[in-house]
Amino acid sequence: MAEAMKQTVATMLKGIERYNPDNLPTLERYVEVQSRENAYDLEANLAVLKLYQLNPQGFNIDITSQILLKALTNFPHTDFILCKCLLNERQLSEEPINQIMYLGDILEQCDFQIFWKRVHSMPELTQRIAGFLDSIRKFVCHVVGITYQRVDRVHLAELLGDVDDLTLKHWVKKYGWKEEGALIFIANQDENIKTKNINEKIDFDNVGAIMASCH
Amino acid sequence: MYSSDDYEQGYNKDYDYNSYDTDFGAHSGDATVDNDFNRQYFKMPELVVKFLKYFCECVRDRQVFELQNLYEGSWPKLTEEFFEKRPWPEETDVMTHVNKDPVFMILYKELYFRHIYARIQGGPTLEQRFNSFYNYCDLFNYILSEAEPVSLELPELWLWELVDEFVYQFQSFAQYRARLQKKTAQELENLNTHNKVWNVLCVLNVLHSLVDKSNIKQQLEVFAAGAESDSVAGEFGRHSLYKMLGYFSLVGLLRLHSLLGDYYQAIKVLENIEVHKKSQFAHVPACQISTSYYVGFAYMMMRRYSDAIRTFSSILLFIQRTKQLFASKSYQHDQINKQTDQMYHLLAICLVLHPQCIDESIQQTLREKNYHEKMYKMQYGDLQEFENCFCTLVLNSFHLVLHR
Repeated sequence: MAEAMKQTVATMLKGIERYNPDNLPTLERYVEVQSRENAYDLEANLAVLKLYQLNPQGFNIDITSQILLKALTNFPHTDFILCKCLLNERQLSEEPINQIMYLGDILEQCDFQIFWKRVHSMPELTQRIAGFLDSIRKFVCHVVGITYQRVDRVHLAELLGDVDDLTLKHWVKKYGWKEEGALIFIANQDENIKTKNINEKIDFDNVGAIMASCH
Repeated sequence: MYSSDDYEQGYNKDYDYNSYDTDFGAHSGDATVDNDFNRQYFKMPELVVKFLKYFCECVRDRQVFELQNLYEGSWPKLTEEFFEKRPWPEETDVMTHVNKDPVFMILYKELYFRHIYARIQGGPTLEQRFNSFYNYCDLFNYILSEAEPVSLELPELWLWELVDEFVYQFQSFAQYRARLQKKTAQELENLNTHNKVWNVLCVLNVLHSLVDKSNIKQQLEVFAAGAESDSVAGEFGRHSLYKMLGYFSLVGLLRLHSLLGDYYQAIKVLENIEVHKKSQFAHVPACQISTSYYVGFAYMMMRRYSDAIRTFSSILLFIQRTKQLFASKSYQHDQINKQTDQMYHLLAICLVLHPQCIDESIQQTLREKNYHEKMYKMQYGDLQEFENCFCTLVLNSFHLVLHR
């Protein structure tokens, strides 16, 4: 369904159409579909927030929350900030948006243990977003991948939100990491350092003008 | 030219027309009445009459080079000589000298209002803001609603400043409207009944229409691929007037989206423009600088600091190297100086948050202008210093727009 809607929605985002409040119901439905089917369309979601910004009386806090949670799933990209910039201070302090803002904050600081504690303490907030937890785990793995060379497996399980051993194995396999007893080997970070070669390419055309004026 | 502070300070103060006032003796003491009074008795100098006649002829005959001289040279010069502290002559006074040429009158009024915004102490009145808006509507209706391209040609700098001013006046209006406490009941009612004036959708609509009419997006796409852009330009887009208005409208949209906090759209609108590259569209330095300013700002707000640093240092380098070229044109020079200063501040913030090597000569300037002291404070987590760097320069133009 999300795929099918994508086309219709794309025409609603072109040029001045993007600001047509009549499109809002369709776009809001599209947000719901994204939550249900684990699809994602940042551009459409930003258009919804934009319409709320220009037509404050139509502001729907439930849809906005879904958009923000979906944006969290796309860390480390800047989607969350982009959405946040379209909301005003009053909206940001409303329940449950303020909760989501907090989640965004600690996620950005990579305080994963605190993050999971929070999420588990209010399951109803994120339940409706299909694949939410796994998307966050992907981000965790990304951070782990650029941070550690070896990591304690208990610690890793904690970072992934207190997952059981089977789930842990699944993520280890997915990212090509290796189990070494109590440790997990992530990568040899030394190998990731790339030396930079700077080549200056200057051809005749570049200097032609200077040479001509030297005469 | 873009200082919003000027209005804030001057607003509601009595008008100060220096020598003009004293010439006429008795006063009612009411600023607006005095204002009208002065206008009636102001006789247009012969030089100005001649200038306006010639100006009108050049517009009609599409003498672009001559227009460029008049626009960049004579207009500022006459402004300084005769209209330093007062508006240019009223529409009705000018009309008689130029055979009521409707197109010229629209263009004249655009300059007339722009001068009021920039130079007149106290800033434009509500009525002037409204009229300036209606005049823009007339202008864009004229350009956009004809079945064929209109036979008008204007210098590129003029077109750029026209679009830029349009967005600026929108911004200025939003700020003006937000200052409720200083307004009389009459003014508030006026604002309420005319809520379509300077409406954000209307401004967006104009810019989008100019973009669409000129096929500028397609042109840039083809141009980026190395082909001849004329092939997709269409009937309107082939004309330099439409093409350049389209291009400048993209930059206008960049600015508008930035003001509205929509940084994704701001960057996206420029997708086929290579900001760092020279092209056929990059003849107006003020436009190039402004583009980089808003692109860098959008990147910074998106927390893409390395992109922001790249954008800022590249344009600051450009300014450093070409500074003497626009030093002669004072009114552009001020604006560029101001933006340059703001960009150094933003660059300093970005470098604190995302330390990296930058061009040695930019580093040098940062050192010379004592930015390293500010950066040092910020590095030690001095939030106040962050605020100083960000707010004093940037915030007065941003965000206020949204407080409706």
